[in-house]
Formats: sequence, C-alpha cells, structure tokens
Amino acid sequence: MDRFTVELIVSNHYGVLNRITGLYARRGYNIDSLYVNETENPEKSRMLITSKGSEYIQTQMVHQIRKLHDVQKVILMTQINR
Amino acid sequence: MKLSGSQIVVERLLAHGITTVFGYPGGAILPLYDELYKNSDKLNHILTAHEQGAVHAADGWARACGETGVVIATSGPGATNLVTGIANAYLDSIPLIAITGNVAVSMLGRDSFQEVDIVGITQPIVKHNFMVRDVAMLEDTLNQAFSIANSGRRGPVLVDIPKSVQTDICEYRNKTPLPAKKTYCTFDAGQVSSAIKNCKRPYIYAGGGVISSNAEPELGVLSERLSAPVGFSMMGLTALPDEYKLNLGMAGMHGKLAATAVKAECDVLIALGVRFSDRATGNATEYGEGKLIIHVDIDHAEIGKNVPPHMYVNGDVKDVLTQLLPLLPAMRNDEWLARIDELKLKGKTEYASSGFTPRNIIETVRGFCGADTVVATDVGQHQMWVTLHYKFQKPRTLLTSGGLGAMGYGLGAAIGGSIARGRQRSVLFTGDGSFGMNLTELATAVSQKLPILIVILNNNALGLPRQWQGVFFEKRYSQSTLNRKTDFVALAKAFGAEGYLAEDLTRLEYALNNLPDRKPTVIDCRIGMDERVLPMIPPGGSVKDIIVK
Ligand SMILES: Cc1ncc(C[n+]2csc(CCOP(=O)(O)OP(=O)(O)O)c2C)c(N)n1
Repeated sequence: MDRFTVELIVSNHYGVLNRITGLYARRGYNIDSLYVNETENPEKSRMLITSKGSEYIQTQMVHQIRKLHDVQKVILMTQINR
Repeated sequence: MKLSGSQIVVERLLAHGITTVFGYPGGAILPLYDELYKNSDKLNHILTAHEQGAVHAADGWARACGETGVVIATSGPGATNLVTGIANAYLDSIPLIAITGNVAVSMLGRDSFQEVDIVGITQPIVKHNFMVRDVAMLEDTLNQAFSIANSGRRGPVLVDIPKSVQTDICEYRNKTPLPAKKTYCTFDAGQVSSAIKNCKRPYIYAGGGVISSNAEPELGVLSERLSAPVGFSMMGLTALPDEYKLNLGMAGMHGKLAATAVKAECDVLIALGVRFSDRATGNATEYGEGKLIIHVDIDHAEIGKNVPPHMYVNGDVKDVLTQLLPLLPAMRNDEWLARIDELKLKGKTEYASSGFTPRNIIETVRGFCGADTVVATDVGQHQMWVTLHYKFQKPRTLLTSGGLGAMGYGLGAAIGGSIARGRQRSVLFTGDGSFGMNLTELATAVSQKLPILIVILNNNALGLPRQWQGVFFEKRYSQSTLNRKTDFVALAKAFGAEGYLAEDLTRLEYALNNLPDRKPTVIDCRIGMDERVLPMIPPGGSVKDIIVK
C-alpha cells in the first residue's frame, strides 16, 4: 500500500472537516495524519490528509472529495512507496 | 422588502418554479406551514400520511416530470422519517430539496424536544446539506440548494431551518435563481469515433444518465446509426420504446437473457450514464474480457470505480453524443444482427407463460394503460417482473427504487407520479410485503382523489428473499412466508378506495373495466408462491452462470 497525501482548499466552516473525514471512514481508510489551518483568506482553510491506499483508492478519494460542495481544490500530493 | 424566513422560503420556491410540495407539519415547522396556508393559491401542498410517503412522492414527482421535487418535514421524527427517501433519491440521482424545521437557534445542541442533528444524519446520503442559523443567509442558501441539486450528477439537498430563523425578519433581495452549473465537456471525439468504427460488434449499455440528461433522442440515433443493440440498467429503462427492434431491455442479475448475453459477446461496449452497479454487472473482472469499454458519465468518480474502461469521457451524455454523432458513419454487421436475433429468440422461448402468472397480469394491465401512463413499483419479484415484461414506450414512465431497493417506495411514488402528470391515472405494481410497509398512503390517494391503480402481486410471501433461499439456502424459508390473511379488498374500502379480488385474468379484466375515476383502486391478484424471477445470475456471476429454468 502506498502512503498518499491530499492537499485541500475548503470553506472555513463548521462541519467541513466532518464531511471529508466521513468519506475516508465510509470506505474504511485510516487517516494517518491530518493538518488543518486557516489560509490568508479567512474564508478558506487548507488541509493535508495522509492515508494509505492503492492507486485505485487514491484516485477514488480524490474524485469523491472533489464532489463535496465545500471543497474548492484537491491535489494528490505525494506518493511515497513504503 | 423585509420578509420573515418562512416568507423567504415560499418566495424562493415560487421563484424556482415550484408549484407542488409534499410534506407533513409539526411544531418546529409551523411558521412555514402558516405561510403555506396563506399562499395555498400559488403553492399546492400535498399532505401525506407519513413523511416517508411525502419524500417518496416528491421523488416520484421529480422522476415523472424531470424537475426538482420538494418535501417539507418538521424536526426530530419528521426529519428522521425522511432518511430512507433521501437515500433513495441520492442513489438514483434524483433532484430533491428536503426542507426540515429544527428547534430555535438558542435551543440547538441541548437535546431539546424533537431536536436531532439531521444535517449529520443525512451527510452521507445528500449531495450537500445546510443548517441555516441566520435568516440573512436563507435566500442565498435556498438558491444554492436548487443549483446543487441540479448541477452535474443530480441528487438531494437538505436545508435545515431552525424555528427562530423561520420567524426572524430580514431584507429579501429577490435574486434571480442560480442556474444549474452546466458541465461543458471537451474530449477527442475523433479518437472515440475511430475506436467505435474499428469494432464489429457494438453494444450500447444505457443508464439513468441518459434519462437525466434527456438524451433519449440521441441514444436512438446512435443505436440506429451503428446498428447497435441497446441494453439498459434499471435506471435507463424507458429511454427507448419497447418495440424498437434493437431494444434488448434490462441487462444484469434479473435482466433479460438477450440483454446480458449479447453484452457478453460484443467487442465494443458503449456505456452511457451508467455506474456499473454490481446488480447490473456481476463479475466485474470477467466483465470486460475481449471488449473495448468506452464509459461516458457526468460523475468522474464513477469512471473506473467498478469497471475500468479503456476509454472514457467525463461529461453529460447528451452533450457527449451531440459532439460524437456527426463523426460516426452508418454501420451495419449482418452477422452480428443475426446473432442478436438468435439470442432474442432464445430468450423469448425461455419466458413462455400461461395462466394467472405475473407476466400475464402485467401484460393485461398494460393493455388498459396508455403510452404516457406512469408506472411505479415497489421492491421484490414484482419489480423485476415489471422491468422484464411491461412494455414501456416513453421516457420517465417508470418510477422504481433502483440503487437503494427500498420496499415501500411505490405508493408514494405513484402519488407523486400521478400529480406530476396532471392527476392522471398512475399504476403501482406492488407485492404483499412491500405494500404493507407504506399502505397508509392510500389515505393520501383517497383525499387527493387520485385514480391510482394498485395491483398487488400477492404471493403470500417475501418472494425475492424466498426465491434466493430456494436457490442458495436449500429451501430454508426463514421468515419469508407471510401468513397474514389481510383482506386487501376490505382494507381498500376501509380507506375509501375501491377494491377487487382477482384469481384469474377474467376477474382482473372485470376490475380493470370498472376503475373509478376519482379514487384509487386496489386489485389483489393472487398468484402462486413459487413463481420465480427468471433468468437469474447469482451475485458476482456472469452470463455463463445464468439460471433460466
Ligand atoms: C425496506 C426494505 N427491507 C427489506 C428489503 C429486502 N427485501 C427485498 S425484496 C423483499 C421482499 C419483497 O416482498 P414483496 O413486496 O411481497 O414482493 P415479492 O418479492 O413477493 O414480489 C425484501 C424483504 C428491502 N429491499 N427493503
């Protein structure tokens, strides 16, 4: 399994984190690390979520996250083999 | 102009062209119901017997007319009663707005009377949901809700409005409704068309995305141009008329033999607006063997989710076909067409039936219906028999719970479908099990004077689980035999509806010849307990495993 990180720009709003982590939980993927902070624009926050999964899982996660209304940007950042 | 939150809701619904809503009142939504009372000349509210009936009706309404369904419920139990219906709309990509009341903002988070976190509860089964804590946000939120429900892949959106927000006042700006975001898709149409041109045995697999994007005419042209047979997922049924020579009907677990067998033998599979659900696909690995799969879907997450395609286009089916069709020449492979005819014939002989069988009942009822008649089903064997044997002619005339497979969907849907079509007669095919789940909506059909025809294929059983138990559990019929002795004729009459018992086709025809115009009718059709849905492919199987007898 590959470790992968997605970088997200999302609305800085209650409940948004829940919607995103819910997508991971629903598919049974553990989140290994999670980092959230407000950006220069207080209406947006930036998230970094690291998890493990095959290439299939990685693309699925990116596509599913992208569909969330509160998500403005999704980048699949790293694919470090382990 | 200063308006209350409730007035804003009504104004927004009207601005979005909504004239019919379904719902059920309660404490936390009373301010909105007061506004509905004052606007009843413009906005027709259909009161159901249960919130689940209301949400299924709004969903059926949306499917039948292609517009956004709206359902309203109170907080707590009212909201939780919507959950099955919201999930149903989500899995079948039906545009729906659910408006729920909640306790006043000051009471939120205190486990107040009838407070539930419906935003949290419905999170995995909506496209998006909102809790509106400030009346100043309400107009924009509702505007966005309609846009989200109709942008890209359609689906439900829930808007939770605390009671205090319904009574708070703010400036109403009467903004123009936000249009749904249109997905314009650019793709290499030349590459896709040459791939198709290089193949000899084309097959089109069409799903709900065709109906959702109103691409039925383009689908017809594509099929004729390529002389390609069309098989459907359950959600795609009705896109082409049954009598069309290349329409093979539904493919998959309980689909038609020809639709599944021809699919297995094609060399190019053009999949339009489908998600390759396990019920339609079976063994996903064998599925793609020996063929080129071209997948067109509006939802990028569906591409490669269940079946990896060789080529894909992420876009709206109508938009994609409009770009593709000019590049495709007329094609015809007589050998392939002959093979299709052969498999069709094989299927026909497998399904021969005589007597008071589900198929004959469905065909007899069909004889009394028009091309425009909306047909709803519940879930079980009867649903599969309808999808196998009812000859649909026009799009959006089938209302059925595809992705969720929710027993109890049908009566609400038939009510919504009838209202969407100017209160015409709609038909519900149901089973004695499913009907038992939400039959209280008979009261709604009676009070609305809807001439709904309810045909119960009464086998004294939960037929579909029973059939599976017969095949996979050595006939241990655990909890699937119903010894209820319900007198459905008396029950119908108790509700103020008409009721008939039919044990043969003559009695059925008599009932069909005597349907009242301004109330629903229940016909209790007694069929054998051991009638089966055939063919059948076991879960995860392929056409090689098909059971036909
Ligand atoms: C709400 C719900 N509960 C359980 C099921 C599982 N289930 C699928 S079909 C079926 C039996 C349906 O019985 P009936 O409505 O009488 O139809 P039949 O199969 O006999 O035609 C059951 C229990 C379901 N689909 N939906």
